Amino acid sequence: MPARFARPEVGTDEGGLWAMMDRQETRLQRSPFAIRDAGLRDYVQEIACRLGGTHCPDIRVHLVRTPMFNATMAPNGMMQVWTGLMLRMDNEAQLAAVLGHEIGHYVERHTLDRLRDVKSRTAFAQFLGAFGLIGMVGQLATVAGAFGYSRDQERDADRIGAVLMRKAGFDVAEASRVWANLVAEVNSRPEAERAANFPLFATHPGAEERAETLAKLAAEAPGGETGREAWQAKIRPYRREWLAEEIKRGRREESITLLTRLIAGGPEQADYLAARGEVYRLRAQEKDFDAAIADFTAAVALGGETPEAHRGLAYIFRQRNQLPEARASFQRYIEAAPQAPDVAMIRSYLEELGK
Amino acid sequence: MKTLTLALSVVVLAGCAAMAKVDSGDRTVGDRLAVNIEGAWNHLQAPGLGPAQTWTREGLTVDQLLLYSGIKNGELVHAPSRSGREKDFAFRAGMLPDEIVAMYEGMLTRDGSSFKLTRLEPSPFGGLKGFRFDFVLTRKLDNVVLSGMGWGVVSKEELFAILYMAPRLVFFSRHAAQVEKIALSAKVRE
Ligand SMILES: [Zn+2]
Repeated sequence: MPARFARPEVGTDEGGLWAMMDRQETRLQRSPFAIRDAGLRDYVQEIACRLGGTHCPDIRVHLVRTPMFNATMAPNGMMQVWTGLMLRMDNEAQLAAVLGHEIGHYVERHTLDRLRDVKSRTAFAQFLGAFGLIGMVGQLATVAGAFGYSRDQERDADRIGAVLMRKAGFDVAEASRVWANLVAEVNSRPEAERAANFPLFATHPGAEERAETLAKLAAEAPGGETGREAWQAKIRPYRREWLAEEIKRGRREESITLLTRLIAGGPEQADYLAARGEVYRLRAQEKDFDAAIADFTAAVALGGETPEAHRGLAYIFRQRNQLPEARASFQRYIEAAPQAPDVAMIRSYLEELGK
Repeated sequence: MKTLTLALSVVVLAGCAAMAKVDSGDRTVGDRLAVNIEGAWNHLQAPGLGPAQTWTREGLTVDQLLLYSGIKNGELVHAPSRSGREKDFAFRAGMLPDEIVAMYEGMLTRDGSSFKLTRLEPSPFGGLKGFRFDFVLTRKLDNVVLSGMGWGVVSKEELFAILYMAPRLVFFSRHAAQVEKIALSAKVRE
């Protein structure tokens, strides 16, 4: 690992890049999308520090509320981790795999290489143009997001990430699972929507190949911890909100694949089941209502279900003309969530359904 | 009733977009939605805008009034994603109010913006039994927080709706009462 980086001179290309990233970081800190929960942020920062070693003081983790799989690290040390990524991680080792990979780009100064690479100059100029015009880069997360890393850089970052994981005591096999899981999710998309990609996917080609390579790297030195329990306990308080955001993406097939994996991955959890039930209900294809009822009912049986599980059941019963059941479920929803924004709407349904 | 007259102050913007003034009085949108407006609005006309008429008082980056007249089963409620990278949202004839709201929520958050529903309740709209909803939209593009409100009703398997949104601090309160009047004046021809 190289030594810590000193702040580059202002007049240089690298200095310019840092200045731009500093501005973006200030903006990010003020953004309503920034998660200001210090507990969760410090926890992710700690994992980044375990990986980053001597670079730890230069790495600044920012958690961003956006329901997509993405993490980035800018040359100035600003690291962004999106909630959609955290929802998808099974354990600390998987998060460490993504963070380690990003730290790999950082310590190798890949962004600067790209900036100096003649071939990407045009892309960079376009990027700067867009930056000036729109006045924000929040969506693009980093410069690299705009003009991408090369495949060789990706391989480098993967290799470094695996080394950092191993040094920190994490099971490297989890790195390969991150990519395999993401591939499965994207592949479940209907053909017509395949072109669309997760931001990280677009800048990181060859996910299948990388999953394989990482699995080989892991096999060379098996073992290490996954940190599953610590991770699951830490994210539990945020999961409901992240799941609600995931449902809103409207990518029903992907959500079902994701939730099915999360449900299969551990002891049954009412919030995962209720979320998948809601996705089935909203997709409303043949047999989806049956699948939704099964999930909602399982969630209710487990206890600790979201109020929306009762609302979902009620809507389906109402549509199926099972009026007493619809009434009872609407009642339970209102009792569980008396402050919900749609309570007036639900009351009108109850009136329609009679006493 | 006059159909929407779009003459006067037509301003041509870059990219073949034009603004046409919409004057006070009775106006029809599409074939079956009629509204009465007090005070002028600007109607944005540009290719590829999607199925809603887009009106604004302050300028498109500030406030937007979307008027939907007779959206049919399977029809998108916005212009289709150009890159194919964003999810498209379509109306289905069997949709309940909560699903219509979820559809608009999906539409408004395609760019990563954040939508929070604050109210959904039954409300007359267009002379029919419809619904009204209120929301807060935090725009990803510039982090501006917008207040929004919408009305909708499904008639003969077609969707009629009005959505309005504007920055929470000044502009929303400036125009909210006018927009509510417009929504109350709406008539759907059966
Ligand atoms: Zn990478």
